[in-house]
Amino acid sequence: MDEFQTVEETTFIIDEVSNIIKESIESAIGGNAYQHNKVNHWTTTVVESTLSQLTKLGKPFKYIVTCVIMQKNGAGLHTASSCFWDNSTDGSCTVRWENKTMYCIVSAFGLAI
Amino acid sequence: MTADGWRCHGNRAARLILMAETMGEAQTEVVENSYNIRPNFHHKFRTGPVKACIQKVLKETLRNKEYIPEEVPQLTKSLSEAIKDKLKETGFDRYKIVVQVVIGEQRGEGVKMAARCFWDADTDNYAQEVFMNDSLFCVAAAFGCFYY
Repeated sequence: MDEFQTVEETTFIIDEVSNIIKESIESAIGGNAYQHNKVNHWTTTVVESTLSQLTKLGKPFKYIVTCVIMQKNGAGLHTASSCFWDNSTDGSCTVRWENKTMYCIVSAFGLAI
Repeated sequence: MTADGWRCHGNRAARLILMAETMGEAQTEVVENSYNIRPNFHHKFRTGPVKACIQKVLKETLRNKEYIPEEVPQLTKSLSEAIKDKLKETGFDRYKIVVQVVIGEQRGEGVKMAARCFWDADTDNYAQEVFMNDSLFCVAAAFGCFYY
């Protein structure tokens, strides 16, 4: 069987994805302070720009991207994910980002088709 | 087992044959390609039943729980595992499942969660449930992706 695509073109590369996520967060939120009426817009922008960058990679994947933004007031937040998939092809990447007023946690999952 | 037994010439099948041959074992069952590209109705990932399933697990585990910082990391992990296992039992044929659980302390802070997916809307779906009590809130989301 001929291989038409190299391994780099068909696997979920975590470093690459993590950079995409970080850039999306920076460009959407940057140095802004937590504002109740802006959060809706921020979460949407972060997931949508991450997703559009991921699709531009042109890999045979389905993607799931989630984003949680939480105001900092001393409260704790935990997130966990568990997946049933093909470990050899699929992958996930989670980025934790914070500034003085909020936490932002973005997870991206890539599931090979 | 010979390669003739396989009707499918997909990459994966080819790899499996190779594996079986090189290992000299014939224990892999020969599954003929069904050529189905859509799940049948009974095995489809539908929001309703999945939501009910998540709700049940959340209620069972979190009913009288309080937010204890030392216990919550373990709790989040076991919850996501429990939901994933429950969904696997339900028997979604050929579905990949992703379960995400977020638990936070209830202190009046603002939280916003969003998700976007790039997938086949005909076959793939998600379900989300929220549980809250006086001391914590929990959001659980399950995504099902059909593997063709």
